[in-house]
Amino acid sequence: MKQKNKIFLILCAAVLFTATGCKKILEEQPRASIDPSYFKTPEGIQGGIAGIYSSFRGHWGTQIFTQLFSTGTDESLKGAAADVQHWFTYNNPLIKSTTNDYAGFWNGLFIDINTANGVLEYGANANMPAATKTQILAQAKFLRAFCYFYLVTTFGEVPLHTTFNTDPSTADSRAPLADVYAQIITDLTEAAADLPNTPAAGTGKPAYKATALYLLAKTYLWRAWSSAALPTDFTSAYTTARSVIDNKATYGLNLMPYFGDTFKEGNEYGPEVLMVIDHTKDLKFGQNSAPGSFASGPAENKSNFFWRPNYPTVNANYPSGGGASVCVRDIRNGRPFQRIRPNTKYIIDVAFANRATDSRFDGTFQTVFLSNSTQMAAVGSPGATTPRGQLINAVDTAIWFADRVVTPAERAAFKGIIFEPDHLPGATVKYTASYFPNLRKFNDSTRADLNDYSDRPFILFRFSDLYLIAAEAAFKGGATMQDAADMINVLRTRAALKLNQSPAEYAAAVIAQQITPAQITLDFLLDERSRELFAEDCRWWDLSRTKTLVARVQLHNSEGAAGVQPYNMLRPIPQQQIDLVTEGPAFPQNPGY
Amino acid sequence: MAFGGSVNDINPENIATVDILKDASATAIFGSRGSNGVIIITTKHGRTGKPVTTYNGYVGISSAIDTWEQFNGQEYAKYKEDARQGQPAFLTNPNVTSPYALTAIEQTNLAAGVNTNWQDLLLTTGIRTGHDLNVAGGNDRTQYFFGFGYFRETGIIPDQALDRYTLNVNIDHKMTERIRIGFTSFNTMIYQKRLGTSAYGTAMRIGPLYKPYNDDGTLNFQPTIQQGVDNTTINPLTSIGNNDIIKANSRRYQFQHNFFAEVKILKDLKFKSTFGFGWSQTFNSNYTGPNNVFNSNANTAGANLSQSNAEGWQYTINNSLDYNRTFAGKHKVQVLALQEVQKNKFQSQQFNGQGVPADYIQDYNFQLVNTVTPQASGYSESGLIGYMGRVTYSFDDKYLLTTTVRTDGSSVLAKGNQWVTYPAVSLGWNMEKERFMEGLKFVNSLKLRAGLGISSNAGIGPYTTLGSLSSGFYNYGQGSTPLVNYVNGYTINTLPNPNLTWEKTRGFNIGLDFAVLNSRLSGSIEYYDTKTTDILLSKSLPRSNGANSILDNVGVTASKGIELTLSSVNIKSKSSGGFTWRTDFTGFFNREKIVSLQQGLQQDLGNGWFVGHPITTIYDVRKIGIWQTSEATQAAVYGAAPGDIKLEDVDKNNSIGASDRQIIGDFQPDFVAGMTQHFEYKNFDMNIVMFGRFGQTVVATYLSADGGANGYPFFLNSRVNIHKVDYWTPTNPTNAFPQPDASRDGLLYTSTLTYQDGSFIKIRTIDLGYNLPNRILEKAKIQGLRVYVSAQNPFILWSPLVKAGLGIDPEGNGTGNAVNSTAGGSPVQTRAITVNMGVPPTRQFIFGINLKF
Repeated sequence: MKQKNKIFLILCAAVLFTATGCKKILEEQPRASIDPSYFKTPEGIQGGIAGIYSSFRGHWGTQIFTQLFSTGTDESLKGAAADVQHWFTYNNPLIKSTTNDYAGFWNGLFIDINTANGVLEYGANANMPAATKTQILAQAKFLRAFCYFYLVTTFGEVPLHTTFNTDPSTADSRAPLADVYAQIITDLTEAAADLPNTPAAGTGKPAYKATALYLLAKTYLWRAWSSAALPTDFTSAYTTARSVIDNKATYGLNLMPYFGDTFKEGNEYGPEVLMVIDHTKDLKFGQNSAPGSFASGPAENKSNFFWRPNYPTVNANYPSGGGASVCVRDIRNGRPFQRIRPNTKYIIDVAFANRATDSRFDGTFQTVFLSNSTQMAAVGSPGATTPRGQLINAVDTAIWFADRVVTPAERAAFKGIIFEPDHLPGATVKYTASYFPNLRKFNDSTRADLNDYSDRPFILFRFSDLYLIAAEAAFKGGATMQDAADMINVLRTRAALKLNQSPAEYAAAVIAQQITPAQITLDFLLDERSRELFAEDCRWWDLSRTKTLVARVQLHNSEGAAGVQPYNMLRPIPQQQIDLVTEGPAFPQNPGY
Repeated sequence: MAFGGSVNDINPENIATVDILKDASATAIFGSRGSNGVIIITTKHGRTGKPVTTYNGYVGISSAIDTWEQFNGQEYAKYKEDARQGQPAFLTNPNVTSPYALTAIEQTNLAAGVNTNWQDLLLTTGIRTGHDLNVAGGNDRTQYFFGFGYFRETGIIPDQALDRYTLNVNIDHKMTERIRIGFTSFNTMIYQKRLGTSAYGTAMRIGPLYKPYNDDGTLNFQPTIQQGVDNTTINPLTSIGNNDIIKANSRRYQFQHNFFAEVKILKDLKFKSTFGFGWSQTFNSNYTGPNNVFNSNANTAGANLSQSNAEGWQYTINNSLDYNRTFAGKHKVQVLALQEVQKNKFQSQQFNGQGVPADYIQDYNFQLVNTVTPQASGYSESGLIGYMGRVTYSFDDKYLLTTTVRTDGSSVLAKGNQWVTYPAVSLGWNMEKERFMEGLKFVNSLKLRAGLGISSNAGIGPYTTLGSLSSGFYNYGQGSTPLVNYVNGYTINTLPNPNLTWEKTRGFNIGLDFAVLNSRLSGSIEYYDTKTTDILLSKSLPRSNGANSILDNVGVTASKGIELTLSSVNIKSKSSGGFTWRTDFTGFFNREKIVSLQQGLQQDLGNGWFVGHPITTIYDVRKIGIWQTSEATQAAVYGAAPGDIKLEDVDKNNSIGASDRQIIGDFQPDFVAGMTQHFEYKNFDMNIVMFGRFGQTVVATYLSADGGANGYPFFLNSRVNIHKVDYWTPTNPTNAFPQPDASRDGLLYTSTLTYQDGSFIKIRTIDLGYNLPNRILEKAKIQGLRVYVSAQNPFILWSPLVKAGLGIDPEGNGTGNAVNSTAGGSPVQTRAITVNMGVPPTRQFIFGINLKF
């Protein structure tokens, strides 16, 4: 080829090569990530609903959430390994400083609200079957109301946004309490109208009509106690709760005959459950870490860790040193995080004082650990040897958290170790921050590894709470005192049933359990709530709603009595929120913090 | 050509020169990619003449510079007891038990004098060796270069190893008098074993009072079994060997191929077209079988495995017209027009799994794996188009003027904001050529140069202008029907920002290059002053508005500094082979600060931005000591007790809170300097390289009780062993560290303990070489042979952190968020320089030869 031709060819090739595709070079199409415009599609709005449900896993059943909200009440004291200690003790100067703690809850719920707003905004025009669309929009309304319910009851006045926000504004302000409650009630009323009477078969217990009505009844009750109360609120709370109770068959609801079965493994979608935060063994859709990797995922249900005593460190010679562990950590006995413990003075002397005819103490607390000298020890194999003899694995009780002071003779005749409530005079081997009755409700015996999370769905709302809501509303004037007693007696009658009980014993217990309208006081109702709902992540809210937090903590909780203040009935606004509002008026902190 | 690989892909033996360009005129050639400066690496080429073969080889050993100082057996026992006494309950009940008391085995072992140093048991001596063989040669028309390299390094953690193979080829060929073509090829293959796996963290926590071996010499499989809360920890020494059950392999292959053709269209006009194509792939393959420290499961149903693959490619097409002519002998003019297109693509996948039928299956057959969990994949594609014009004029080699205009378009910005145009101008004055300088004989060269220009940067990830959703997954019920039971979920994460635009840096620099006294002293001094507007940063939003963050043009920063380079021939013998001593010094200081923020804010607390301070600032409460016994009453005001951290109450409201946070420091060193001493005597040569950094804060994360990923879980809680610190007790009234407390997982305000002085002066290398005399070499027909010994990273001359006994190497080994502050938020929002307590840094002693024949 001639040199000229070669030159020409090179030039042409270079220019052509560059010119082609130049247009496309500057276009972009994401392929491994989803952007907000996805909410404009039918799949996108369905995904928004699942995304919100999925985000709840990051709160309920996790370590910090559980300690942030189950502490500083009459029901609980700090465990030996508590992380968030000042919320147990209301050590106030520190509360003011530790302002990051509620950021996870605050942030998560507001992100969920905007997601629900996106679903509602785009969903209205989505191209999909009308019935499906109605369901999705109803779910979005329920979930938005759910988030605002928790925000307003935790922080008081909060920003109220009901449209999809894509404006990167750094200004925001709090809406009046009345507006927030009104929005919740509107959303729940509309959601209840459209949600199905029972969840679709095989889909567990996401929110359905009864759930929306339950939360609506509870919202009326909250507003009734609040400064935004309408005169009709207690009545509305009562009638809404009764509308579910009286139509329980329609909604597939009923009380379990035996209280201990309400939290039994396998009953998570049972007739007593109004809503769960779902979990599954599946690693992907359950968002679980692989078994045996120490439950490292942030979305896992770890509720079975936190209320568990440090049983593996009880040695055979306890309280003296020496001797082998009488019960080692394994799948059956669980992972002992000892973050929170029951306030046993209140539990044993007040709330669960009647253990004779009321099954709820046994249904709530596990007081014995069987001998277990090796992991999952075989029944009948030899266990550790205490000064009083050799224990037989899985047969003999190695650790007994007695609910009373035992006699020296009883102690001498018992091979294992007996702990006695530390507040009782004459107790010798006492409960401690590490050794206390275990909470039974979240036990999971089918985990793959001894350090694993639980794959049980987290039971969030239970049918029995509707009776308590109705009773509280009736007591406050929403109905008669007899109505209040009737509601409570339904639960107390159910609690009369115990395992291994003769019919005569049962009949006697039922009679003993009944109460009269005259017996009902606010404190009685709150005690009853403890009996029924202990450790179900509602106690601080209950005391806050009924304005009894200060009085009851001072009365029952030796750790928190000195520190608790009226302003603790609201949680502090996360400092991050305050810092990030840089435009317009500063974002106000709650009083006292 | 833009290089798609990483610095580690380049074999240092194949580098001819390295140049660093910073001023705007120089970087304009590289457009927006060069706005933070450009490193030009020129590789070795062939040359005309007899073929030359070189062999460079070395072998050496590598060892830990030190181990972390932890409590020994006696100290650990005392620490646990002190932590028991540090519980608040101890004040009312002196017999209060500790949840983390010494276990029965530990008590027995303490009495028996057991004092296990787990770190020593886990460390070994590594080997480092490298071999490079190059051949270069050619004739008038064709020049070639072939290089083959092999590098191997074994870790100071047993079983860790890296092997790197490189093959480089350069060929230049003159087709005709007017056409030149060339081809360059780099190829790198890297194999790594046990990448990033070590049981070092477990070893540091397990405590010195457990025995690593049983009395019969076998491994004590679970030294802590049935003891305390951590009773199932498996011996970290199970990480050694066990190659059939522990695998963490990585394989990387990378190539860069460049072709060019250059055509002389006219005598003064050249056209050059270059096509570069690069590709890389990284494949990771991991397996952890049961019954070892990484996996406590008892059988292969609990075996963990994962495989990941990442692939990226990029091409660049670059066409330029270059006109070069000198008029009237004095006026040199160069005109350059350039056009280029670049495209990058990246894709990655990862699959995790658990449970295989047998260990030998490992991660080889996913069909046999019980549970496979796909992980998030990565994908990105971005493109860039650039046009540049440049005119360079020089008069009599005395005065130089360069003006440049460049236009860039980037795909990562939204339509309408994709294009940017920016100019630059630079001036040079070779003063030594002036007549008035003729009298100053001691001046050998003197050049004054100055530049003013703008550069632009769109250094953000693709798709960020679109916003993003967070992905979650959910199950409705226990069924597994897609869309009914198993549903993908999404919530809002970042907001779209179609208005995002280019970050622009306006820079001014002035510098003086000089050589005086027969060039015995030469160097340069340069001052620069830059201002960056529309800084691209992720901005955190108040979540009440419904999104986490947005990528935004957030403000303006300014940066100025001075750089100094000096090279001095201190002693130069007149006779050949006599003693020569040369010193090279480089130093710089840089001062960066935020000039303004959006909406005229003076500070943005939530994002950690403060006008007048660098972008990365530490904003936290300030520790002023430890509350002492005599101060109990004052401490109680703050809800604290003697032994707790004492903090500065900035607003004097008798309470520590968010309003007491203040700017504690930043990560900008006051001054950075390096110095090399070079000695020659006869056939010997010696180099000593020193490096120092002054006034630099680092975050020593292991000195805090943050239970999260960034701190050291159970710091001063006595559950596990920690870095040895001088902690407070009633009888040791120190102000250094607070009192341990067995009843608290995390002490409060310990983020304040992590801010440490990271200043240092280090010896980087010392090497001593000997060139064999020519008379010996000539007989063997060898052109050159040098043998040398070298010590790399031999010691730290000065470091406050090391001196205080709080670390072994102040040079940060990580970046990221610091530990959270008790007083609210993260005290450092981005890019904290952190020192982490992991496998120690290493030093090497090496013997090598350079052979040329």
